[in-house]
Amino acid sequence: MVTQAAPAMTMAPSEPEIDWDSLASRARLARRTRAVVLYAFLIAVSLPIILPYFWLVTIAFSARTGVAETAVLWRSMAVVVPVIVGFWLAAALARNRRQLWFGFAAVAAVAVVAFALLVGPDLHLGNFIFLWEPDFASVVRSRVGEVKGAVQFPNVWHAFGNSILIAGAQTAIVVTVASLAAYYLSRFQFPGRSSMLRSLLVLHAFPVLTLIVPMFLMLYWIGLLDTLFGVILVLVAFELPFAIFIMKGFFDAVPWDIEMSALTDGASRRQAFVSVVLPQVRNGILAVAVFTFIRGWEEYIFVFTFLIRNSNWTMSLYMYWVRDDVMGVDYGVVSAVGVFYLVPSLILYMAAQRYLMQMSVGGVKG
Amino acid sequence: MAKIEFRHVSKRFGAVEVIPDMDLVIEDGEFAALLGPSGCGKSTSLFMLAGIYLPSGGELLFDGHLVNEVEARDRNVGIVFQSYALYPHMSVRDNILFPLRFKKTPRDEALARVKAAADLVRVTELLDRRPSELSGGQQQRVALARALVKKPQLLLLDEPLSNLDASLRLSMRTEIKSLHEQLGVTTVLVTHDQIEATTMADRIICMRAGRIEQVGTPDDLYLRPSSLFVAGFIGSPPINLVAGKAEGGTFTADGTRFPVVGASGEITVGLRPEHLRFGEAGFAGRITQIEPMGREILYVVETGMGAVRVLEQGSFVGHTIGEQVKVAFRPENSLVFETKRQKLIVGAHVRTPA
Ligand SMILES: Nc1ncnc2c1ncn2[C@@H]1O[C@H](COP(=O)(O)OP(=O)(O)OP(=O)(O)O)[C@@H](O)[C@H]1O
Ligand SMILES: [Mg+2]
Repeated sequence: MVTQAAPAMTMAPSEPEIDWDSLASRARLARRTRAVVLYAFLIAVSLPIILPYFWLVTIAFSARTGVAETAVLWRSMAVVVPVIVGFWLAAALARNRRQLWFGFAAVAAVAVVAFALLVGPDLHLGNFIFLWEPDFASVVRSRVGEVKGAVQFPNVWHAFGNSILIAGAQTAIVVTVASLAAYYLSRFQFPGRSSMLRSLLVLHAFPVLTLIVPMFLMLYWIGLLDTLFGVILVLVAFELPFAIFIMKGFFDAVPWDIEMSALTDGASRRQAFVSVVLPQVRNGILAVAVFTFIRGWEEYIFVFTFLIRNSNWTMSLYMYWVRDDVMGVDYGVVSAVGVFYLVPSLILYMAAQRYLMQMSVGGVKG
Repeated sequence: MAKIEFRHVSKRFGAVEVIPDMDLVIEDGEFAALLGPSGCGKSTSLFMLAGIYLPSGGELLFDGHLVNEVEARDRNVGIVFQSYALYPHMSVRDNILFPLRFKKTPRDEALARVKAAADLVRVTELLDRRPSELSGGQQQRVALARALVKKPQLLLLDEPLSNLDASLRLSMRTEIKSLHEQLGVTTVLVTHDQIEATTMADRIICMRAGRIEQVGTPDDLYLRPSSLFVAGFIGSPPINLVAGKAEGGTFTADGTRFPVVGASGEITVGLRPEHLRFGEAGFAGRITQIEPMGREILYVVETGMGAVRVLEQGSFVGHTIGEQVKVAFRPENSLVFETKRQKLIVGAHVRTPA
């Protein structure tokens, strides 16, 4: 060792002086370039996702019956695209939190002003006519001189209520049954337990559409065809396996100890479950509830097949028939219905975002 | 308070027999320790006492009453789990209050008892915190308060100190012991740490693979271990065990000869490191390792019979590595076991070789 170290020592002085400054600036440049490339990529990817929604909203608030005009869309885009780029740039260039907020505020202010000037004059609420006029189809048609052949639409609030009922009831049943079943699967040994777990996943792997004919026959024979309850049962059946599987993961993460502790503290098994175990899986229940609700809210195939009377229409059917009936006349109304349909899931997602994030983690927080 | 009795209690998990046949009496107000290596069935025994596990056979009695079938919640047993098992979503106050919720204790009285229990283990200032905001030692106290608040007839502690650091462990040891003296509640401590057991318990139940090896006071287990297993398990640093053959009053182990009385045939001699000392006479060896332990120094001596540990009092290192030494002991400190049955031969001794 000693003999090897000696030549290295003697060579050191002859090596060129290290230029720390240039090394640092080179690293800085590389870091900047990477950030710019990354942001450019993010902008390019996010635009096709953001734009359709943006257009949907813009059309809903600006299109007029019988007028096929796209200028306002291009003008709104001329505002939105630079704004997105502006936000990313602000995020990329800001060196601290204050600069970031300042940059965001500046971009937002410019955006509001530009939007008010370029798009503002075209905005109106007329496309939401369906909210207060059940026979809006006739009204819209009469504007362009067509007077007959409009579909008899139910009140949109009725369809809204049906959707809430289906999604809500389905969620309540799925959450209750899945929690109990998952708890049992997680805590108790019984013959066939592992094959049951496997089958839960297999069940989820089948495309549900393949079962639509047998389901139709079944509902017909039971007498639940064209009832909301029938659809709720079908949806519950298809949603349950996966919900049970997810919930089991959450229950598995709850330590045995606290349950045993509750039992020795005087609780019955049921009391221990309710007061000690359930609170530990609260996030799991919320996540499953939100996903199940949204799944029921956007349900289309089953309601389309199993519901016939228009008093049983859900929002998706309502949307379908609006598109079918007035699309050629007034796509503004179609977009407005779309926006109206979108809002509840959006609100739910935003409210529950924090809990949904935990779904992938599936853990218990203290 | 209760007197606990195991009568031929067994426990099976499927095909695995964890506890084959357990007979044990724990007196009213006693502090007993279940001591044994990991996996020997200590927690299982404890959980049967708590009513969490149903015994597979035999009888479990509290004060002479059969409790096999009595549910956990009706047994009035306080238990501190190894993980403390505090309820994470409740404040410390609600945690301690929890056992009283099911007893229909009036609110005022319940809060007063929570306060008293918290005072007892000194966590009064922490009542509004969540368990996740507590240190390990504080969590342990809260768990203790929760176990005590229901005035249990039996207190079970499952390795309560194993998650604490060394100094905290020392102070909690004293605290739990004085708590027991104060309350007089029958207490069963589970531990695999022999020092914990010997320092805290009145009586130690030493277990091995689901069977009780020996029951006795800490002194009994230290001075008169009934088997090689107990001798090896109790004492730190561990006892030196020398196997050999006794014939005609001479015990021979790898060429070293000791005078022996009271035994013949294949025997194993146990010599505790603290009973060995360096002297003019004795068996010869060479020091290969020196480990200062504060108030004592541990020497590892390589002898004809293998490595022997010698513990010397005092913090002065009077020897060097490589030094040739002679090791001696007093005959009454030697333990003689039958090698085959692993049992102590009472009254047998070996003597330092001349
Ligand atoms: N629920 C169970 N199912 C099957 N086997 C079990 C179960 N609980 C415990 N065992 C087995 O019983 C034996 C004793 O377990 P126990 O938990 O009582 O050990 P222990 O003495 O408390 O050990 P440790 O010091 O590691 O806690 C172990 O071999 C364990 O694998
Ligand atoms: Mg254990």
